[in-house]
Amino acid sequence: MPPSQFGAQLVDNQALSGGYFTLRFACDAACGAPLSGIEPGQFIMVRGEWGREMLNPRAFSVLDAQADGSFSILIKIYGRGTAALSALRPGGAVTITGPLGRGFSAPADATQLLVAGGVGLPPLHLQAKRAAAAGRPEAVEMFYGGRNADDLVLTEPLDDWGVKTTYATEDGSRGHQGFVTGALEARLEAAKASGEAVEVLACGPTPMLRAVRTMGLAHDVRTLLCLEEEMACGFGVCLGCAVPVRGPKPYKYCCSDGPVFDAREVRWS
Amino acid sequence: MSAPVRTNPISPDAVDLTTTFAGLSLPHPMMTASGCFAYGQQFAHFMDVSQLAGLSTKGISPAPRMGNPLPRICETASGMINSIGLENVGAEAFLAEKLPYLADLDVSVWVNFFGEDADAYVRCAEMLSAGADRGIDVLEMNISCPNIKKGGIEFGTVPEVAHRLTKRCVEATSLPIVVKLTPNAADVPAMAQAAYEAGAVGVSLINTITAMGIDVRTRKPRVATMYGGLSGPAVKPVALRMVHQIHTKHPDIPICGMGGILSGEDALEFLMAGASCLQVGTANFSEPPAALRVRDELRTLMAELGISNIPEIVGCIGRHDPEPTYAPEASWT
Repeated sequence: MPPSQFGAQLVDNQALSGGYFTLRFACDAACGAPLSGIEPGQFIMVRGEWGREMLNPRAFSVLDAQADGSFSILIKIYGRGTAALSALRPGGAVTITGPLGRGFSAPADATQLLVAGGVGLPPLHLQAKRAAAAGRPEAVEMFYGGRNADDLVLTEPLDDWGVKTTYATEDGSRGHQGFVTGALEARLEAAKASGEAVEVLACGPTPMLRAVRTMGLAHDVRTLLCLEEEMACGFGVCLGCAVPVRGPKPYKYCCSDGPVFDAREVRWS
Repeated sequence: MSAPVRTNPISPDAVDLTTTFAGLSLPHPMMTASGCFAYGQQFAHFMDVSQLAGLSTKGISPAPRMGNPLPRICETASGMINSIGLENVGAEAFLAEKLPYLADLDVSVWVNFFGEDADAYVRCAEMLSAGADRGIDVLEMNISCPNIKKGGIEFGTVPEVAHRLTKRCVEATSLPIVVKLTPNAADVPAMAQAAYEAGAVGVSLINTITAMGIDVRTRKPRVATMYGGLSGPAVKPVALRMVHQIHTKHPDIPICGMGGILSGEDALEFLMAGASCLQVGTANFSEPPAALRVRDELRTLMAELGISNIPEIVGCIGRHDPEPTYAPEASWT
């Protein structure tokens, strides 16, 4: 689906635990449902009526998009943009550009291990939802980590969809104590022992992604990372969101080549 | 204080937006700026690109360039800092792969170019001359990018050096050359004069202002190269002043103005300061068709103010009425 720019209004601003919010928007009536075919991992640029002081839109992966034109994102306050969005009230207007980038493919033969941390949850949450909707909840397994139980949000739908989920918290308040990568490691070992075909899809804080990458490469398992970089446009023009890669060119672009990259391709130390 | 110029509003249909820049006839003043429009194709999703008066491409060098390490951009108050590093596909690939799309648009195609030294500038101008009958209308010579390390800085800041370089490039190509000036020079009108006297048909300005952002938590600069280029509405007052200075000193030099244009009123300010065509840059990132909205707002505003055409107001800025002379009065004590 080619990207477009359209207006939307906030329908619902739901505060969750851990400082997270879900914002649900409805597209302007004339726009239809421009995001309904979005792939998990694809993203949108969101800008409120911010005047001249805060110029650039902010990139968010989509948590969910419906055929009626509504869609939602997950946010946590990190800076001025997310602070402004968290204060948005129903009816508040935003401008959306999207869908942008390339997302994850639906599970094929290999079981997809979905590794999520923090605001990196949406692409994997949507991937799990889509697998369940396709009648294949067993084709995905979720590994979801946070600092504590409050950091783990929107977990009930995962149960409803019948998606097997392993939780990990640093303080042990929910699931395994420790990093989510510990649980992933155990799962990869088990798959290796049984000869089960698996692949890893991950989105979350950079330290988590680095650990997942190292682990995926060590186990020789196909590992896809959904990355985030600061970007001004989101559609391949500003060239701000370069991602260091191996290959004939030193950089690719998070917005137009990604945000999903093969771990083997990413040039991280 | 001066009273507003009293004019009766006219119909927007009666506003003539056509303008000429160095002999180039444009249907309206609004173009898009180099580095903020890539090579154009991406914008076709969001707008009818052929509605622009023209566009300036990403800066082209003789060979491809890969760009700077991360981070490359950061947002600042009313603007952003970038240090992309003039990443581009190189002249050869530009002509073969990017130009055909632009040529079909029927807009004024300005190819921004640069080199890493004087010979590379000349070589690039020569190479791009092959596009003269394939859709290129103007070569916009970038003597002003703060983001390349080698040389460069004297090209944009020393009039004699700019004159020499411009002259060599003018002689190397059949295409008209517009020199894009940096605000990071001591005497911008002198730079404009040097370029014009060397054979450039006009000047465009401003490029970004050298700037810095700091992350106090990591104690690192916000762009990897330490300093980058500031753009957006934050630079507009500086840009206006420089356009006005050039126009006041050298009214014959055609000026393409830019720097933080976001609205029709911004555009009108630049025209009044002395520019005869305009480019929209940073605004394209958040709003791809910004230049066309600005065009429409400009028409509406001109109608409201009773301005029927562009030449009427280019460089029209007058001075405030003088105050009555102050005569010291007797002391109170």
